[in-house]
Amino acid sequence: MTPQAESSTASGGFSSGSPAPGRWVTSRPPRVFEVVQRFFSLPKRMLAHRDLIAISVKRDLEARFSGTMLGWLWPLVHPMFLFVVYYFIFTKLLNFKIPHLPEGQESALGIFMFCGIMSYATISEGVVRGANTFIENGNLIKKLAFPAEILPLNISLVCSVTHLFALAVFLLGCLLTPIWEAPGLSALWIPLILAVQLVFIYGFALLLSTLQVFLRDTVQVVGIVMTVWMFVTPIFWVPELMGESIQPYIAIIYNNPLYHLVSAWRGALMGDLFIEAWTEGDQVLGPYAPVSTAAIGGHLAIFAIWAVALYGVGYAFFTLSERRFADEV
Amino acid sequence: MKGYSLETEGLGKAFRLYPSPLKRIAEAASFGHYKGHHEFWALKDVSLRLKPGSTFGLCGANGAGKSTLLKLLAGTTAPTVGRYRINGRVASLLELGAGFHMDFTGRANIIMNGVMMGISRRELEKKMDSIIEFAELGDYIDEPVRTYSSGMGLRLGFSVAVAVDPDVMIIDEVFAVGDMYFQKKCVDRIFEFKQRGKTILFCSHSLYDIRQLCDEAIWLDRGNDMAQGDSVEVTNKYMAYQRHHIDAAEGIVTDHTDASDLESRRSKGELPEILDARVYRSDTNEECYELTTGDSFEVRVWWKNPAPENTPIQIGIGFLRQDMTTCGGASTNFDRIQLEGREGCLVLKMPDIQLLSGRFLVPVVLFDGEGVHRYQEYSLRDNLIVRTNTRDIGLFLLNHAWEQTTHSVPAEDGGTIPKERVG
Repeated sequence: MTPQAESSTASGGFSSGSPAPGRWVTSRPPRVFEVVQRFFSLPKRMLAHRDLIAISVKRDLEARFSGTMLGWLWPLVHPMFLFVVYYFIFTKLLNFKIPHLPEGQESALGIFMFCGIMSYATISEGVVRGANTFIENGNLIKKLAFPAEILPLNISLVCSVTHLFALAVFLLGCLLTPIWEAPGLSALWIPLILAVQLVFIYGFALLLSTLQVFLRDTVQVVGIVMTVWMFVTPIFWVPELMGESIQPYIAIIYNNPLYHLVSAWRGALMGDLFIEAWTEGDQVLGPYAPVSTAAIGGHLAIFAIWAVALYGVGYAFFTLSERRFADEV
Repeated sequence: MKGYSLETEGLGKAFRLYPSPLKRIAEAASFGHYKGHHEFWALKDVSLRLKPGSTFGLCGANGAGKSTLLKLLAGTTAPTVGRYRINGRVASLLELGAGFHMDFTGRANIIMNGVMMGISRRELEKKMDSIIEFAELGDYIDEPVRTYSSGMGLRLGFSVAVAVDPDVMIIDEVFAVGDMYFQKKCVDRIFEFKQRGKTILFCSHSLYDIRQLCDEAIWLDRGNDMAQGDSVEVTNKYMAYQRHHIDAAEGIVTDHTDASDLESRRSKGELPEILDARVYRSDTNEECYELTTGDSFEVRVWWKNPAPENTPIQIGIGFLRQDMTTCGGASTNFDRIQLEGREGCLVLKMPDIQLLSGRFLVPVVLFDGEGVHRYQEYSLRDNLIVRTNTRDIGLFLLNHAWEQTTHSVPAEDGGTIPKERVG
C-alpha cells in the first residue's frame, strides 16, 4: 500500500500499456524528462514484458515458416540466391578481383557481397515490415491496453534471428568447405555488431511506424528509399575498385551508416585473410578501406552513434505521439 | 484498500478529424499556429467515483460515449481533458477475441492473450487448467481458434480476462453473444468478483442487465453525463427520455421500426400502458421498499387501456434477486383474472412474505391477452430490499419445525440408513 499512498498525488501523461495503479492519468503530453526516462528505461520495460516479447517473436517466426516445404531454410534461400547471382556476374562475367588474394580464393568477392547482403536484408526487412506494424496491429492498440513499442521491437528481433540463421550457415560453410577461411578472433565482434544493428533497426522502425500512423504514405516511400539505399551502399560493388570516378561521392559513402555497418560485418566475418587482401606491406590499399582489426571497432563506433541517435529520435517521436495512436490507427 | 478504486475528474475526449493528410502536415509544420482539424467531442466532463466492490453500469444510445469512456479507463486511449486514477490492476474486455491469432490453438491464444494483458507466462501456465475449465471448450482447446464459433470465442476471451484477477474489470458490451448458460456463468463470476471487493464497469443496451447487476449507473447522451446514481433511477430516467425522444422524433422519422411505432402509438394513447407502480405496506398508504421477512405488503399498479376490445391485457409481476435468480412471479393470466375497463389500479397482495434477505428487482410487465407479447416492462423506482432477522439461509424461509423424540432406528429394510453406520 505504501508505494500507492506515496504516489497518490503523482500524475502522469498517457502511455500505452495498463496504467500504473494509483496514479492520476492526465491529458498532458509527456514532459522532456519523461521522454529521457523512457529512453533509458527500455531494458527495464523489455524485462517486464519479456514473456510477451518471447512469445510474439516465436509466434511470428512460426507463423512465417510453418506449413512451407523448406520451413526454417527459407530465411537462407533468399540471400543464397542473391549470392549465387552476384558471385557469377561479378566474379565470372565482369572478372572483378580483390587484390592480393591467394590462388583459389577468387570467390572472395562473393563472400564480400554475401556479408553485405545478409546485413542489408536484415535491415531492409526490419524497416519495411516495421514501418507498417502499428497499422497492422491497430486492433491490439485499440482494444487492448498494450505496450505499443513492443510491436516494432518484435519485428527487429525477428529479422535479427533470421540474420543469425544466415550467419550460422556462413560459418558452417566456412568450416566445412574450402571456399573461405573461417573467421578467427574477429568473430567475437559478431554479437556486439548484431546488438548495435538491432538498436539501429528498432530506432528506425519506431520512427517510421510512428510516422506511418499519421501519414500513410510513409510505407510507400520507405520501399523506394530502401531499394535506392541498397545500391548506394557498397554491397555489390567495391569502392576501392572504382578508381577515380568514385572520388566526388566519397563524402556520401562516409556518411552512410550502412557502409560502416557492412564494413564492420566484413571485418568480423572475413577475418585476417580479408585484411591481408587490402594491404601491401605496411601500406593500406585505397584511402577508405576497412583494413585493420581495429577498424572494425572504428566502423562499429560510427555506426553505433547513428544507431543510438536514431533510437533516440525514434523513441522520442513515439513517446510524444503515442497517446494519439488509438484514435488514428 | 481504502478510498476509491476508480476516480475520474472532468474526463473528456475529443477526436481530431482531419479533412485531408495535407492539413495534418500543415498543422504539424506550423507548430500550433494553424489548426487543420476540427474536434469531435465523444465524451465531456465525466466525473465518477467508484468504491471497491461496486458494479457500475453505462447506458445510453449508440454514439453516446460509453465505449469511449471504457476505452479511456482501460488505458487504450488518452484523455483530452480531465484525469482519472485506478487503484489496482485493470483488466478490460473491450472486444471479443482482440489479439486472438486465428491459426493458433485455444491454448496458445490463452498464453498470447494473457501476456498481452500483463500476466507472466508462469502464472498463466499455473492457471491454465482453471481457464480451460471455465471456458468449457473441451477438446476444442487444442484446435485453431478460427474453427471456433463466436460464442466459443467469447468464452475463451472472458475466461482469460477473469483469470487476470483484476481489481477493476472493464467490460464493453460483450455479453450479447454466448448462450444463456454461459451468460449466467459470467454473471455469477461477476458477482463473485463483487463480493471479493473488486470493481466492475460495464456498458450494456440491456437496461434490465444494468438494473440487475449494478448498484450505480451513468446515462450518457452524446458525450454528456445526463444522470448518475442509483442504477434503477438512472435507467428509469433514460427510459423516460427515450420515450420522450421518440415522440419528438416522430414528426421527422417516417419509416417506423416496430418499437418506435409502438412507443408512438402508446404516446398517442392508443396502446395500453402502465402509468405507475408502487409498493405499499399492506392496507396503508405508506410507500415502502425496505421490508423484513414476514412483513405484508402490496404492489399497486395503475394501468390504462384505451381500447380494451382490441387489446386485452394481462399484468405480471416478478421478483428477481440481484443475481438474476427468479424467485417468483404472479400474473393475472395465470390466475385467470380479467382486467376490464379502460383504466384501473391493480393490487397484488403479498401477505407474510417469506423471501429471505436480498435485493430484489420487481419488474411489472404488461402483456397482451395471451400473456405472450410484452407491451411494456415497467420497473419500480427502487429495488425491493428485504432484511431477515433470523439466520436462515437460502431464498425463502421454509416452513419448518424441530422436534426431539425417542423414535427408534428403523429395522434393516429401512433402506435410508447404511448398515455400517447403524452397526
